[in-house]
Amino acid sequence: MSQTDQIKKGMYVDFHNEPHLVVEASLYSPGKGSAFTRTRLKGLLSGKTTDFNFRSGEKVEEIELNTREMQYLYSDVTYAYFMDPQTFEQKTLPKERLGSLLPFLREGDSCLVLVQDDEAVTIRPPGKVKLKVTEAEETVKGNTSSGATKSVVVETGVAVTVPLFIKKGDIILINPETGDYVERA
Amino acid sequence: MQTWRELQQHPENFSSYLVRSWVLAAIRQFFTDRHYVEAEVPLLAPSLPQESYLEVFTTTLEAPPGHFTPAYLTTSPETWLKKLLAAGIGNCYSLTKSFRNQETSGPFHNPEFTLLEWYQVNADYHDVMKETEELVVYCLREVQKRQGRLKPRLTGGASLKISYQGQALDLASPWERLSVAEVFAKFAQIDLPTHLTLEPMRKAAGDKGYSVDLSTSWEQIYHQIFLNEIEPHLGQGQPTILYDYPPSLAALAKTKAEPPHWAERFEVYIAGIELGDCYSELTDWEEQERRFEIEKDLRKQGGKQDYPTDTELIEALKVGLPRCSGMALGVDRLVMLLADVDNIAKTMFFPAKELFGDASGQ
Repeated sequence: MSQTDQIKKGMYVDFHNEPHLVVEASLYSPGKGSAFTRTRLKGLLSGKTTDFNFRSGEKVEEIELNTREMQYLYSDVTYAYFMDPQTFEQKTLPKERLGSLLPFLREGDSCLVLVQDDEAVTIRPPGKVKLKVTEAEETVKGNTSSGATKSVVVETGVAVTVPLFIKKGDIILINPETGDYVERA
Repeated sequence: MQTWRELQQHPENFSSYLVRSWVLAAIRQFFTDRHYVEAEVPLLAPSLPQESYLEVFTTTLEAPPGHFTPAYLTTSPETWLKKLLAAGIGNCYSLTKSFRNQETSGPFHNPEFTLLEWYQVNADYHDVMKETEELVVYCLREVQKRQGRLKPRLTGGASLKISYQGQALDLASPWERLSVAEVFAKFAQIDLPTHLTLEPMRKAAGDKGYSVDLSTSWEQIYHQIFLNEIEPHLGQGQPTILYDYPPSLAALAKTKAEPPHWAERFEVYIAGIELGDCYSELTDWEEQERRFEIEKDLRKQGGKQDYPTDTELIEALKVGLPRCSGMALGVDRLVMLLADVDNIAKTMFFPAKELFGDASGQ
């Protein structure tokens, strides 16, 4: 019946010879029988976000990516190293592919690595990471006006802005893409 | 959580929803002060104008019992108002619900939405550009006034500067006015007057790296270049009035006498939101009849629901439509802008996606 576009949120597509994650996709008809899919694409190699409008019926190549659960081992100056805990097989990724996630990874953490033709492409960032607060100043009594925040350090050594009630030893949830505090675990 | 439950828990969230109620009141006051007649028109109709790109809602009327007639939810109040214009109503408007099926996804669509459509007689599209500026500024002032009554420190003096999703906007007139040919030259480096036919347009798109083939139409290429390269630049910092469209893109508009016969149509863009669309109305019934036939064929080709044409509109044009210009303005989007919310659903107590779930969009 009516034309439906196949591009969906969460799919991987080839765009300008680079695998991209479809972050957003919505149908749009500007008029005169032309239908479009408005998309926001994230380049898995470059990390760059692009907005592109596909014509209805325009050919787009979907990419098959396998997701493998692997352990983060360590990173050196250029690469991050991951290992399959079952087969002990290792994969490497250039550090810049991990974007803002790397500072929130602990050695031994489990990660979802996206693999194309046996090559690691990138990792699928978790929505939240759970980390322990290792350094936090005592909150001054009386300073409790709503919206007040302070800076604490979590176990990976990164500073995070949190509400005043967070104490040393608390476990907190952080959005690794933005580095924002989400809630106390 | 449903919006009404959330409001019950967080009554402070009511304030952004109140903007809709203030804007509706402001629109009515604005037109009443200018002696426009508000015409209430049907939402349920036995026929519709032919518009190739809209999908409609179909239902069945049973009257008398046992006797069934197909019926459709109207996609805009346009044809009713034009019949009333032929009847001699003069300046008029409708502030009403309209229905467009399949328009469910993304931050700017809800399958039922509030449309303001007004017609100024003895006027062309330049007059309506000015009136649109005045209306939007009037609505902003009313919203500022109401917010001031709640929180006196937010009155903000005489400023027409607002912030929308962190972006500064100045709504003071005159707004930026750019012709379609100007924006194609400026942002896409295409000389539109020499690209009004398929071959040069296809070549230009191919050179830019778009995937085009023999089945790609001129309109598809036009829209793809427009959406990707031009639209993101419109309405930034101040509203943009984009005017004089290629003739093939304005089925109900009057075209200019001199080549390349630009259609007297404009659209308003504010901060990436397409707010409204205006035509100097086509008054030639034969041309209208011909265009309905083309649109009906396009609907058939596109696999869309077939429905009877509103032939009474043709009859009204035969009686004679006064020289006039009509503007359709998305009220929900105006509310988004003035309430500073990023999704149309946040202007509605009962958005469709809450009622129908994710099946109705993202």
